[in-house]
Amino acid sequence: MVAVRFHGRGGQGAKTASRILGTAAFLSGYVAQDSPIYGAERRGAPVAAFTRFGREPIRERGAITHPDVVVVADASLLEDPGARVLEGARAQTVLFVNSSLSPDALRAHLSLPEQVMTRDVTGIALQQLGQREAISALLGAVAARLVGLEWEPVRQAITRELEDLAVAPPVIEKNLTVAKQCYDSVEPTGLHKGGGQVISAAALHNPIYEPPTKGTARISAAGNSVLRETGGWRTFRPVLVAGKCNGCWLCFVYCPDGVIAMNQDDRPVVDYAHCKGCQICVHECPTHALVAEREQEGGEAWTAK
Amino acid sequence: MWQRETFKKIKQIPREEHVLPGTALCAGCGGLEALRLAAKVLGDHVVYVNAAGCFTMLAAYPYTSFKGSWLYTTMGSAPAGAQGVRDALDVLIAKGKLPKSEDVKVVVLGGDGSTYDMALSSTSGALHRKLDFYYICYDNEAYGNTGMQLSPATPYAARTATSPCSVQHPAATAQEKKNIFEIWRAHRPPYIATVAPRYPLDLEEKFARAAAFTGPKMFLALSACPTGWVYDPGETPEVAKLAVETGLWPLKEAINGVVTHTYIPKRKPVEAYLKLQGRFRHLFEPTVHTDAIRHIQERVDAYWQQVTKEQA
Repeated sequence: MVAVRFHGRGGQGAKTASRILGTAAFLSGYVAQDSPIYGAERRGAPVAAFTRFGREPIRERGAITHPDVVVVADASLLEDPGARVLEGARAQTVLFVNSSLSPDALRAHLSLPEQVMTRDVTGIALQQLGQREAISALLGAVAARLVGLEWEPVRQAITRELEDLAVAPPVIEKNLTVAKQCYDSVEPTGLHKGGGQVISAAALHNPIYEPPTKGTARISAAGNSVLRETGGWRTFRPVLVAGKCNGCWLCFVYCPDGVIAMNQDDRPVVDYAHCKGCQICVHECPTHALVAEREQEGGEAWTAK
Repeated sequence: MWQRETFKKIKQIPREEHVLPGTALCAGCGGLEALRLAAKVLGDHVVYVNAAGCFTMLAAYPYTSFKGSWLYTTMGSAPAGAQGVRDALDVLIAKGKLPKSEDVKVVVLGGDGSTYDMALSSTSGALHRKLDFYYICYDNEAYGNTGMQLSPATPYAARTATSPCSVQHPAATAQEKKNIFEIWRAHRPPYIATVAPRYPLDLEEKFARAAAFTGPKMFLALSACPTGWVYDPGETPEVAKLAVETGLWPLKEAINGVVTHTYIPKRKPVEAYLKLQGRFRHLFEPTVHTDAIRHIQERVDAYWQQVTKEQA
């Protein structure tokens, strides 16, 4: 059995990618299962999905704790302890990261498995599809290639899964073209089963719940959600172009999360630690004073504390 | 002619934030946009009674985005929870254990699944008892928190997870959106309003006006939903704008049952609104469902003809 775990941010298509891989494996004659984590999955929030396939019936269910392949749709998740991307990964686990950085650059400050591959899938999608999200077909194709599936079943799986989501046929065609490029850009890897040293995952401390006799999960703090940063959700950040703002307040008014404040000169100040990158401010700015800039990895980019 | 009295200019919108960031709600959430603006008028002296739904994520243990209090209830019982909170406050004030000056507003937050469906009887009870509270329904026209399943608020021809396009129903949802405004109005609460966050002054004005009334103050907030309606999160205000400008989402209020439309749109064709959203894409691709689109247009036209007739 091959176990592939997908990590992404809600909206990037990790769940659909896992479905594409499952369907492609099924069409290749394997038994297969795929399932996402069910819960409070949100656009931008860390999500995970799991695909298992093999020649024998699969009795295992639920989350994959010891993956053979981990596909990461967003590099910022590597450092998000809540995402638990490396949990249960062994030294020989194959790690694929959607990132413009090289594997060595990622290794500089992270303990990663031996086989790490990176491709700037978001960059490819932006360039060829003109989209900033939903890279499911591309990730599914990459994952299918890594585990050694043929292109034809992958093509069928992408078509079927995107049709199910009511994606328009011309968009599916475009996705197939770009997915094939991604498919061809990686090589099948030898998957080593069992044993091996487990790479330590970023530690996540589970809260200790008191028994119901002591009361419910009560929050005694006021407005402490600001401790939780959501800046890592962005693919694009709104940036103010000096001199173009007319101080109209519309960005401040329409921001759902309230992360834009107007300073004394009526100019917007964006709280990048919390801005989720929805781009409402960029869309609504009447003078185009706010523009969307793609988040750069490393450098100025937001990183989890 | 309806006129705003308190909020005339955009710069009258208070700078202070009462719903803080760091929540796990979707980027571009139209419901959060509405709540944030509403809270600028409601302030911090509030007990929010939250029916299970997307807004559960506003105070997911151990974090809360509110400076005021928040109580969590099941989907069907938020107005009953509000009754309990209101009664407790009244008893404490009557006994002199809580100064009148420290009284707080009780505000129910419910999604459309809760409001139109599960909590309808509980809401009816609270309206009947003339409970002094606010009710904010963030209406994204489906059970969004669980993955966009059909709710009684889902409009005709919208595709949801449980009303897909099928041979029997090629235009997806076959039912019409339930008219919750009229259901509420039949109970004659002192104040009801529909709002859309794309029209912030209209929204702020309505919350300011509602404060003068004792009893149920009901709000129906259009909550454009990038995740469920399938459009780019940056287009949330644009979608809300088109909902209002096509006449699909009338902005109105009802004071003691008397309805006033607070904005009369010029009424663009409904296609402008439908085309922007993936949940209606099947109406245009691969073949155009002319009948379904005409049906939606006719219902909007009929609504506004009735409005014009009543005004005359």
